[in-house]
Amino acid sequence: MPRKPKKHNHSMRHRLVTFSPFGRSKAMATRSRMATRGVEKHERQNKDLATSSLNGFKYNMKDKIQQSDSSDDEEFEGDVQADFVFFDPKLSDFHGVKVLLQTYLDNLQWDLSGFVDLILGQPTVGTVVKIENDEDDGVYSVVSALSLERYKASSCFLFCVFMDSKCVLELKDFLLKVCQDTDVLGKLKSLVGEHAQHVGLLVSQRVVNLPPQLLPPLYDGLFDEVGWATEDEPTKELRSSFRFKFYLIISKIYKHKNADQNRGTVKNGEESVIYNRPEDEIFFEVPSGMFSMLILCYQCANLTSIKCFCSLAHGHSVFAYMHSRLLLMRQLKNYRPMGLVMAVEACKISSFREQLHLLIDE
Amino acid sequence: MRLYNSKPDEKRLQYENNCEVGVFSKLTNAYCLVAIGGSENFYSTFEAELADVIPVVKTSIAGTRIIGRLCAGNKKGLLLPHNTTDQELQHLRNSLPDSVVVQRIEERLSALGNCISCNDHVALTHPDLDKETEELIADVLGVEVFRQTVAGNILVGSYCTFSNIGGLVHPHTSIEDLDELSTLLQVPLVAGTVNRGSDVIAAGLTVTDWTAFCGSDTTATELSVIESVFKLREAKPSALVDEMRKSLIDTYV
Repeated sequence: MPRKPKKHNHSMRHRLVTFSPFGRSKAMATRSRMATRGVEKHERQNKDLATSSLNGFKYNMKDKIQQSDSSDDEEFEGDVQADFVFFDPKLSDFHGVKVLLQTYLDNLQWDLSGFVDLILGQPTVGTVVKIENDEDDGVYSVVSALSLERYKASSCFLFCVFMDSKCVLELKDFLLKVCQDTDVLGKLKSLVGEHAQHVGLLVSQRVVNLPPQLLPPLYDGLFDEVGWATEDEPTKELRSSFRFKFYLIISKIYKHKNADQNRGTVKNGEESVIYNRPEDEIFFEVPSGMFSMLILCYQCANLTSIKCFCSLAHGHSVFAYMHSRLLLMRQLKNYRPMGLVMAVEACKISSFREQLHLLIDE
Repeated sequence: MRLYNSKPDEKRLQYENNCEVGVFSKLTNAYCLVAIGGSENFYSTFEAELADVIPVVKTSIAGTRIIGRLCAGNKKGLLLPHNTTDQELQHLRNSLPDSVVVQRIEERLSALGNCISCNDHVALTHPDLDKETEELIADVLGVEVFRQTVAGNILVGSYCTFSNIGGLVHPHTSIEDLDELSTLLQVPLVAGTVNRGSDVIAAGLTVTDWTAFCGSDTTATELSVIESVFKLREAKPSALVDEMRKSLIDTYV
């Protein structure tokens, strides 16, 4: 019996962060269909740490009410209420998840559909974020942890049926190819090669204006699920496949064009690296030396806004997200988009979770 | 009669990992337009299949790559939205055969590919299209024009695709609507999906009378439906003979 959806009753007043009036009106148009709900306060309950995978897992968070910022209220009709719900990934989420993962490996042509199938075929570890009672059934975020070892074999006769893992091979080849640093290359090779049985690929993609308050429960849920999977999965191979020692993360950042050449020319106030996602900043904290054991940056092809038109066919509200990204890119003219690959030791994950809570909950 | 699909172990038909082939290309019986940019794979698949028969032209429309959704055409003509640049218009006029009338039209609804669905004889259009546009369509494309909806959707160009032989429409089209449309279009129609359950038919599928291209996510079931309604099954000699048996003088003595 599959796990019941984890309900994250997180009613909150959230102002959508888009950068243009057009983007805002587009976002408003899609959101206005949702019924506005009264703000509810939920008590934080003790988490029910189900030992059996048959129990559902309900998750109520204390509500956070955000005061509406009056500065650009004239362009908004008011705050928009959104109830986000966490679900286990299922096969019907294919199109939504695929749209989120379009630029996962830069502009490489690879078996993206196969990769999405792997994520969706793993309901026990992974979460998909949707909005409650959304007619479009849009996917706003997906997180998952995929074992590189499990999907290595070309045919897996395990509990869940699997497809050809050609996508994982293509992914590994891509990572080895973009690595230009020879020291890092050696470590990377061992991570995807001999030590692959201890490596989990941490996939986390979302629409850019997803409220950051969702991130701590999202990541907490994921790492908890990985822990439970090491106990609950039906076969020994599956259980051991989730015993990760390292997590591999592929992400994007913006590096200042002058950052490498001459540190002095980076203007005051301008940062040398801009992170798309707050959790990357925590993972990347090299000075503290705490988390990343491996960092690799590669030149990205230009992210264009063309990809947003593909999702128009699905009537996705991802359009608003892409449009605001395009404007963001104009503001970032001194920066270059770079891909970022990090490997993080699994033992450091608990401190990552704490740091994430601290960062977001402020 | 061949169907190009693109299972992962065969030819991939994707445009930058995107299976919406009908967005980045426009295919008719007389020409094929392909969007610029993206990998050469996409263009070369069309070229390999079609180059001997019809011209395959690389272009953009209004500076974008979503050409399949912005223009509408058949073997007699091509309609372009008002924001097509002069250079693009000239390029298309130069590259397409003289028999094809290329016309830029002033229409508020500029995504003509989403608003107009046509074959060489009949066109279905968005109910809110201007009267002048409707007349232009009838004139340039040489078709009979019907204002229709498909399964309650006004974007008829997105939710149905038909050739002179058959057509595929939105999966939620009712039987009555299917019959009505079939009578209007004079071709057999079937309700189905493409690209693994996507109901935006025209984005995932482009057809001519003898071949079709669809996105690599299309399942085997969807493919068999497409093959049967567009009559694309590989022509084997015995099949031909079987069909023509009644009129053939039997020479196998």
